[in-house]
Amino acid sequence: MRDGTLPRALAITVARLIVGYGIALLIGVPLGTSLARSRLAKQAFGPIVLGLSSVPSICWLPLAIVWFGLSELAIQLVVVLGAALPIAVATENSVRHVAPSIERAARTMGADGARLMLTVTLPAALPGILGGAKIGWTFALRSLMAGELLFVSGGLGQLLETGRDLGDTALVLGVVVVIVALGRLSEVLLFSRFDRAIARRWGVEEL
Amino acid sequence: MFTFAKAWVEERGVSLRAVTSSIRPPPPSSIPPSRSGASVALEDVSLSVTTEAGAVEILREATLSVAAGEFVCLLGPSGSGKSTILNLIAGLSRPTSGRVRYGDGGVTRPGPDRAVVFQDAALFPWLTLRANIEFPLKLQHWPADARRARSEELLRLVHLWRFQERFPHELSGGMRQRGAIARALATDPAVLLMDEPFAALDSQTREILQGEVERIWSATRKTVIFVTHNVREAVRLGDRIVLMGTRPGRVLHEEFVDLPRPRSSNDARVATLATGIARRIASEVEKVAREEADDAWVAPGDHRPGDPRRQLGRGI
Ligand SMILES: Nc1ncnc2c1ncn2[C@@H]1O[C@H](COP(=O)(O)OP(=O)(O)OP(=O)(O)O)[C@@H](O)[C@H]1O
Ligand SMILES: [Mg+2]
Repeated sequence: MRDGTLPRALAITVARLIVGYGIALLIGVPLGTSLARSRLAKQAFGPIVLGLSSVPSICWLPLAIVWFGLSELAIQLVVVLGAALPIAVATENSVRHVAPSIERAARTMGADGARLMLTVTLPAALPGILGGAKIGWTFALRSLMAGELLFVSGGLGQLLETGRDLGDTALVLGVVVVIVALGRLSEVLLFSRFDRAIARRWGVEEL
Repeated sequence: MFTFAKAWVEERGVSLRAVTSSIRPPPPSSIPPSRSGASVALEDVSLSVTTEAGAVEILREATLSVAAGEFVCLLGPSGSGKSTILNLIAGLSRPTSGRVRYGDGGVTRPGPDRAVVFQDAALFPWLTLRANIEFPLKLQHWPADARRARSEELLRLVHLWRFQERFPHELSGGMRQRGAIARALATDPAVLLMDEPFAALDSQTREILQGEVERIWSATRKTVIFVTHNVREAVRLGDRIVLMGTRPGRVLHEEFVDLPRPRSSNDARVATLATGIARRIASEVEKVAREEADDAWVAPGDHRPGDPRRQLGRGI
């Protein structure tokens, strides 16, 4: 039963991760930026974001199932919530701490509004945002595993569950190894390049 | 007095330009032809901000007029509003009352015709030195080859051509300041606003960079407003020195520096003039210190009697 099952489960999990994490980035970065820059956004969403980010996102699964049924949407909601909030919080912090003289210098050159944000503020905040993106990635992976374990729908989590049902220790351990490998590999593939670029540009010591 | 200085500058600017145009290709550190300065004026400018502690008066009725092509140094104690004046002229902040004039119009917002060099250089860490210099040109939608030619020219002007592919953190403090000057000159501004650009540098580097600023200014005839804490630096560079006072920030006194250029900080005349100005500043600082002490002395009612820190040393 191993041949075919594991790769397929892996593919499902990876696809979910990529979609959920991508959406989380698309939500988290703009959300964090507006929290840092707009008083209105801060007042409207600040408490919610902080409140939500302290709740493990898997807690939303029951609600998600009530809303969306046992569907992809439900599991994606959990992944997106899990990843977007830490990304938003880190983005907010790093945008807020961009050196004022950097932005002032850009403004004297005629940059303002969206262009200032895109060409100066966000690049300047990139090291901090990348930190948030990494945390977001691990949160996405964790939320997804928890979601898949609880609610049967393909993926590595379900395979774990199957292993438990069959009392197949080898299968369970095998899947755990795959999950660990997935975590490490994705980190290397996704982030190490950015880490190196940032270390080179900002002059941070590489370990 | 400064018409004399202007005539001198004009003469020198013209002759330098004649030299550069007769040689092809231009020598490594030639000064590119450029837009010359524009006049700047503050008319009864006041600025207050409201903080949690209440309204703070940062600048009171400051009046200052800088002629096109003039080199003015702002000198004054910390908190006298020197940076504030540069921000107003740059268009980074607006006065509460009064007018900030530039050329024939008023200042309404920042623009690449008024460039600022900050104390911390403020180069963008994610861009190479060359990309930093080209950044303002990119904002102006210059085509790539024109940007490249311009940055090439400026890198040579500030003697950093060999370091063009370095990131800011890979440069020394003096190099970063030169890079910031090159970036400020990129869009060929009419006014160059410099906020303590050399404050963090050692005295030799500072001396060299002062020479470079003087050289660039002499050749381009841009209007320069240069903020410094260093009296000798002000005397060495300025056509005129504007002394500022604190609490609130205001213009106290102006002094023309009628010495031939290029000058040197070690020149005896520079030293004599600097000593006189330093004495004037010292008396102002002393006055402020005395006022501050008096404040604390006559207003004990402001302090809550329960605060144990206020009781320290009582009855000794
Ligand atoms: N946003 C602000 N809110 C409150 N006070 C401010 C603000 N900006 C400046 N100030 C105050 O205005 C005064 C003048 O500031 P400014 O930075 O212009 O002084 P400066 O002459 O450049 O001093 P330094 O030589 O230390 O750079 C200071 O007392 C400062 O505390
Ligand atoms: Mg200042």
